[in-house]
Formats: sequence, structure tokens, C-alpha cells
Amino acid sequence: MKTMKLIVPFFLILFSIVMLISSFNLQKANLGNPYGPIYFPAGISIFMLIFSIIYLMQELKNIHKENPSIKLMLSGRTPRLICVTILFGIIYSFLFERVGFLISTFLFLGALLFFINGKRKWIVNTVVALSFSFISWYAFSELLGVSLP
Amino acid sequence: MDGGSFINGLMIAIEPINILWIIVGGFLGTIVGMLPGLGPATAVAVLIPITFSMNPVSAIILMAAIYYGAMYGGSRSSILLNTPGDGSAIAATFDGYPMAKKGQAGEALAISAVASFIGGLIAVVGFIFLAEPLANFALEFGPAEYFLLMLLTLSAIVALSIGKMVKGFLAMMIGLTLSTVGIDTQTGVYRFTMGLPHLSEGIDFLIVIIGVYAIGEVLYNFLNIDQQKKDKKKVGKVWFTKDQWKRSKWPILRSGPLGFLIGVLPGAGGSIASMISYTSEKQISKRSEEFGDGAAEGLAAPESANNAASVGAMIPLLTMGIPGSGTTAVMLGALIMLGLRPGPLLFEQQPETAWALVNSMFLGNIALVIINILLVGLLVKILDTPAKVLYPIIVLLAFIGTYTLSYSTMDFFLLLIFGLFGLMMKIMDIPIAPLVLALIVGTDMEQNFRMAVLSSNGSLGIFFSSGVSIALVILTLLSLFYPLIIKLVKKKSQKNTDQPEQVYKSS
Repeated sequence: MKTMKLIVPFFLILFSIVMLISSFNLQKANLGNPYGPIYFPAGISIFMLIFSIIYLMQELKNIHKENPSIKLMLSGRTPRLICVTILFGIIYSFLFERVGFLISTFLFLGALLFFINGKRKWIVNTVVALSFSFISWYAFSELLGVSLP
Repeated sequence: MDGGSFINGLMIAIEPINILWIIVGGFLGTIVGMLPGLGPATAVAVLIPITFSMNPVSAIILMAAIYYGAMYGGSRSSILLNTPGDGSAIAATFDGYPMAKKGQAGEALAISAVASFIGGLIAVVGFIFLAEPLANFALEFGPAEYFLLMLLTLSAIVALSIGKMVKGFLAMMIGLTLSTVGIDTQTGVYRFTMGLPHLSEGIDFLIVIIGVYAIGEVLYNFLNIDQQKKDKKKVGKVWFTKDQWKRSKWPILRSGPLGFLIGVLPGAGGSIASMISYTSEKQISKRSEEFGDGAAEGLAAPESANNAASVGAMIPLLTMGIPGSGTTAVMLGALIMLGLRPGPLLFEQQPETAWALVNSMFLGNIALVIINILLVGLLVKILDTPAKVLYPIIVLLAFIGTYTLSYSTMDFFLLLIFGLFGLMMKIMDIPIAPLVLALIVGTDMEQNFRMAVLSSNGSLGIFFSSGVSIALVILTLLSLFYPLIIKLVKKKSQKNTDQPEQVYKSS
């Protein structure tokens, strides 16, 4: 829990430092003020660094205070739900253009439903996955003219 | 107000196809807004792709309808399930849910729909009178004033994240940083593209929006997905009693203008409007002890105020191109995608579009009150659909929406990254609205800043050169330091009351 509470502020400090260094390494402009493209991102990075440090200090001060959301995120099947949704999303991204919209969407939605809603409700899951894949394909591709693979 | 443009706008709004979009948008918005945890910003974000193949006027009408629909929908779940869709529907739970518990769900739904309707109408009238003068005023703004106005909006939205200002600032800085990715339009320099051609045009803010709002919200709702139990409320006759109306009518009429004015202010919006109207009605009510126990006026007042605020929030968006809240920021993003550039020139160059929207708000409110009263049975049935089925569908809609933006599955990865990012923000209680707002106005803010400095040969004095800019600087400082000032004043008054005791002790 304590580590989790500090990950975000540490990440933000690191992110600010990377952005600050990258800002100063930006190419100088050939037009107008050569430092024109640098000022704004550099300025923001400095402010972001300052606020990230204050944030870290705040979190350190309240390190023993419990964050119920972190507790919930790490308990029960929540971590699995989050990871699997992301994983299915990644697989869907790879399948989308390779096997086409209808099949990949049916598989993605079906898999998500089976995982989230449970295997026992397989009839509902299959019907929703089938009908929704078709409805979304029809609505976007046929009615709205979006070109889908 | 130009009467001709108003009539032309009305004629466009009442075209059958636009009426259809008002109804469709209102209905879809109500459904998404009803889902626990999902508010108007998510509704607009998820449903944006529907608008892409439309002409811009119909698209803006549809989006506005989705927005108001979601506001109505948010209060449905507040009343029936005690789970508000978003901040602006929280106040509806105070008396709406107790009413439903007492078996008055039908009355609560009706009074909230009618209160929202009247609040919305009052605000539309306010809009008609305020929008054009404000647009004309904004026409005189130069880059310095625009930069300061954006700064004021951002600082106001951060300052309003009470108790978490540091996190609000961080969210804002992250949004501004993300807005700098891509080719710098003034010099052609590539910034932070990491060699990826896909990022040369910048990170599409709609992907960020769909990611943090749709995916992030669904992932966050996984935290207690197995605990979500629904106690079914029986909805009887959907109408209110004479006594309830008598008690509610003045609170509705008072809260409408109040909500509208709060909505116009940058950063404020529905949540604050509904809270202020609730507390002020409670203070002036002769039956204040009944508030929180199912008092009809305790539901009617915030409902009128938050709907009025949602119309009010459209004023800075349309007349200045400055969104005042997370949801209007999402709408601005979608409008820019459609090729519409909200700002003072919208009323001058495309008066029909602007007035068609105003008229559609009017019609939309009528459509929504009918949808929410006549179709209440259907809506309650949808609300019974298990969240475990609805969340996968929202995730899928987010993917489809993202694909329609650039027809590239590369963006799916960005969507997932920002989804996780949104989840972390929610878990760490970092406000999302400042990030979205900063991301959208970031580019304009930087360009205006640089143009202002360039026009004054590098002097920052340009930001103090006009009455408007000085006023904006003062307002920004006030918005940033008011929590500190209030703290100091409180401390001082506490010290004063503590003093006699200390004297006594020392003696």
C-alpha cells in the first residue's frame, strides 16, 4: 500500500525531469526566436517538477493514512479484471485489422463478457456479444459510413 | 440579438432530421448518464463517433442533446440507485433517494424532470440575452487577453478542486505537457514525437478523453463491481402531487437563474451550482429539517440549478471558445474535429449554426422531459441491466470511437495507456477535468502567449497593458489564493476567540 501511494508521485517527478531535459534538447527554431518552441514546455516541466515534489511530500506526510481505492484495487478479482481487460484490448488491437471488425469484435466482446459477467451466464454473454457486434458494425459501417476493416 | 438569425436558427433546429437527432441524442445521453459512475463527459466522449459523418450543425445539435440527456440520466440513477452519474447529480441523491425509499420514486423522477426542464428553459432565455454581447466583447480580445482568459479558466478549475489543489495543478501541467507533443505550428519544430510519425500531429485529445473517461471509468468501476447490488425500486405513477409542486415551484424558479450564472463562470458548472442551490434553499426554507429526508424542494432546486448550469456553461464555450468544465472541454474537442471553431466569430460568421444550437437546447429540454416521463418504464428497465454487461459494451464503444478518429489501430494502444492513466488518477484522487481542459486549450494557450510576447518585442508588460488583461490577472490571482485567504481569515478569527482563554491560562 505504502509503495503504491508513492509510485505516482515518483513517476511524476521522473516524468517532469525527463520532460525538462528533453525540452532543453529540442531543436532550435530557424524562424523567429530560436528558443520559441522551448520556453513553454520547459516552463511547464519546471512547474510540474515543483508540484510533483510537493505532492510527494504530502503523500509522505500521510503515508499511514489508508487509501480505500488502492485497497480495493488490490483485493479480490479486481487486479485480474483490470489486467485481463487491458490484455484483451491489446489482443483486439492486433486482431482488428487482421481478421476484420465483425469477428474480432465478437471475440473481444465475448471474451470480456465471459470474464466479467461469468461463465454461468453464457447465453446472455453470447447473445449480447453476437447482437452487439452486429449492431455496432451495421450502425457504424452501414448507417454512419465509417469504413471498418 | 439578431432576430433574423434567431428565426433561421429555429428553422434549422426544427428540421425533421434535427428533431430526430435531438430525440436520439437525448435518449442515448440519458442511458449513458444513467449508468453508475459514468457522467456527461463520458457520454459525449463515447458517442462522439456517431457525429463524424454528419453535417456540423446536426452534429452539434446531437452532441448538445447527448450532454443534456446525460444530465437528466445522471439524476435518474441518483434517485433510483443512490449512485450519481457524476458530480452534478450528487445533490439529487440527498432528497431524491429518500423519496424513492419512501415509495415516491415516480414523484421524484417527475419533479426532477420538470425542475430540470424549467431550469433549462430559464437558462436558454439567459443564453439568448447574454451570448451575443459576450461574443462581441470577446471580439476585442487580443492574444494576451486570450492567454490570460485561458489561464483564469485553468486556475479556476484547479482552485475548485477543493482540498486537492496540488493534484489539480499536476493534472493541469500534465495536460499542458501533452498538448506540446507534435509539430510546433509557429516554427515547424518537432517536439517530443519520439521519432514516431504518428505523433507528429500531436496526441489526439479525443483519444485521451475517451481513454481517461470511458476506459478509465470502467476500470475504476471494476473496484466494486461485485458489490454493486441493486435494490429495485418500484416506480408507480410518474407525476407529483399538488403539495409537492407548491413546495417546489419557487425553489425551481430561484435555482434556475442561480445555476445559469454559476454555469457561465469558468471552472464552476453543475456540481457547484447544484450544491449551492441545495444549501441556499435549505437555509431559507421554513421546513429545513425535512431536507435530506425526502423533501421535494430539496430535489427540485439542485435539479433546476444543474441543468441551468449546463446551458450556462455553453456560453463561454461558444462565445469565447473556452470550455469551463470537463464536459464542455470534451464538446469543444468534438466541435474542433467537426471543423467548427467556437469563439466570438461563430456568432458573426455562422449565426445560423449558433442559433440553431440555442433553439435545439430549447427543443431538447422539451424532448427530454417527455422522454423522461413517458419512457420512464423503459429507462428503469435499462437501469436494471447488469453493469457487468454494460461495462464491456462501453469498452467496445471506446475502441470503435478511437478507430473512427484516425483509422489506425496504433491509437488503441494510446487509448489503453490513457485508460490506465485515468484509473491511476481516479485511485489517487487526482482531478481529471484540469488535465482534459489543459490538453485542449494548451496549444492555443501557448500560441497566444508567444504571439502576445512577439507583438510586444519580448516584453511581458503586454499582459498588464489593458483593463481587461489586468482584471483577468487579478481574477486569476484571486482564484488561486482564495482558499489560502479563507484559511487565514478562519485562523485569525479562531485566534481571536482563543485569545481570552490564553490570557486566562497565563494568568
